[in-house]
Amino acid sequence: MAVPVSQMVTVAKYVLTQKIKGVKRYPLVLMLEPLFRCNLACAGCGKIQYPDHVLDKRLTPEQCWAAAEECGAPMVSIPGGEPLIHPEMPEIVRGLVARKKYVYLCTNAILLERKLYEYTPSKYLTFSIHMDGLREEHDLAVCRDGVYDVAVKAVRAALKRGFRVTTNTTLFDDANPARVRSFFDEMMTLGVEGMMISPGYSYQKAPDQKNFLKRNRTRDLFARILSNRKRTWRFNQSPLFLEFLMGKREYQCTPWGNPTYNLFGWQKPCYLLQEGYAKTFQELLNDTEWDQYGTGRNEKCADCMVHCGYEASAVEDTFGSWSGFGRTVKATLMPNAR
Amino acid sequence: MTDAKYHTPEAGSLEGGVFRPMTPAELAEVVDLAFDYRGDVTLQLQSGVTIEGYIFNRNPSGSRPFLQVFPKGESGVREVPYAEVVTIAFTGQDTASGKSWEAWVAKKASQRRAESEEAAASAKARGHL
Repeated sequence: MAVPVSQMVTVAKYVLTQKIKGVKRYPLVLMLEPLFRCNLACAGCGKIQYPDHVLDKRLTPEQCWAAAEECGAPMVSIPGGEPLIHPEMPEIVRGLVARKKYVYLCTNAILLERKLYEYTPSKYLTFSIHMDGLREEHDLAVCRDGVYDVAVKAVRAALKRGFRVTTNTTLFDDANPARVRSFFDEMMTLGVEGMMISPGYSYQKAPDQKNFLKRNRTRDLFARILSNRKRTWRFNQSPLFLEFLMGKREYQCTPWGNPTYNLFGWQKPCYLLQEGYAKTFQELLNDTEWDQYGTGRNEKCADCMVHCGYEASAVEDTFGSWSGFGRTVKATLMPNAR
Repeated sequence: MTDAKYHTPEAGSLEGGVFRPMTPAELAEVVDLAFDYRGDVTLQLQSGVTIEGYIFNRNPSGSRPFLQVFPKGESGVREVPYAEVVTIAFTGQDTASGKSWEAWVAKKASQRRAESEEAAASAKARGHL
């Protein structure tokens, strides 16, 4: 089982509490971006294309903790930019762990081995390593040779020190299913706790618009990757979301499920689109016209099947009814059942 | 910037453009373009003041539409009412221009290697490698 029981219980308790309270829109994972600066320059990445004076800005630990408390999500994902560049990242993480948030620190792992001693292993802290495939595919995706080997070495070091380690993989339309399956084998052999996968992001402002997967191609690709799933593969994400990617079920987007807070404020409406910013989380919830976003509602959302919009939908399905819970149990225990 | 030596604006980039909107509708349209632009702009205001910086937010609705800027070389945020804006010039480098995946793949291996080394050197100089 990829996700620890304590984390599953925390999330289940949180979601059920929201339901009992009658809260219609609640966050599941805070996407916290404390900086945009990265030590890679991946082609097509819309997160790093800002003037230098913006890239040099950082959220303070206090701003990060306030955002986590304000939104109240039980999990915090810290992407970027490259979070390990932030000089106060260990302090930010310590503060979030002290607040009993399950933290996924997303990193390309270039600095990880050097910085490991600044962190303490905890069930609340997971290093989520950016891995876009086997050596050839990953180094091509990040536009630098040698990064895959550095990341693998860092993963080994982190596991040896007792840290929770997962991988996160973004798949584009040129992905080779057989190679992706080999990559899964490789990561499991490496010993990571679980893997997270998602189709390519479609940033409104990203220059790489042509390379993003179209909806049917996404389903076809993920069906070929995830059919006849090996029992050794562990995924650190909702099994229903994986079935959604394979085209086995339909969901509408839950854009408020993974709210994004960064240097500009609370991003409207989601992690992918930048329609504007709210000063507070409540303002984000109240002022965003949520009905204008999601599949069939907005051309910008037409091809999007990304985890930050649809994984929360899958979790909602799990806890929305006994049948949803049953579907989740079945998808967990029998992932290859039709 | 690390890519200043080889960067030239792609067709369609607003880099170098100057807009003097004549109506509120035109102004709202140009502010939206500036909001989407991945570089600094220079605002000339009714007061004669100019602000160079990155527009990261705007609110075109309400009785007092405004935009928000991170001024270059300053800390903090400036909030500027639409009504005060006279011209918007796209003066900063368009940091998204020429950075597409296709552009990367289309380059010769030697060019890709050079860019990759340049990006790594830049990160190393900042202490990020």
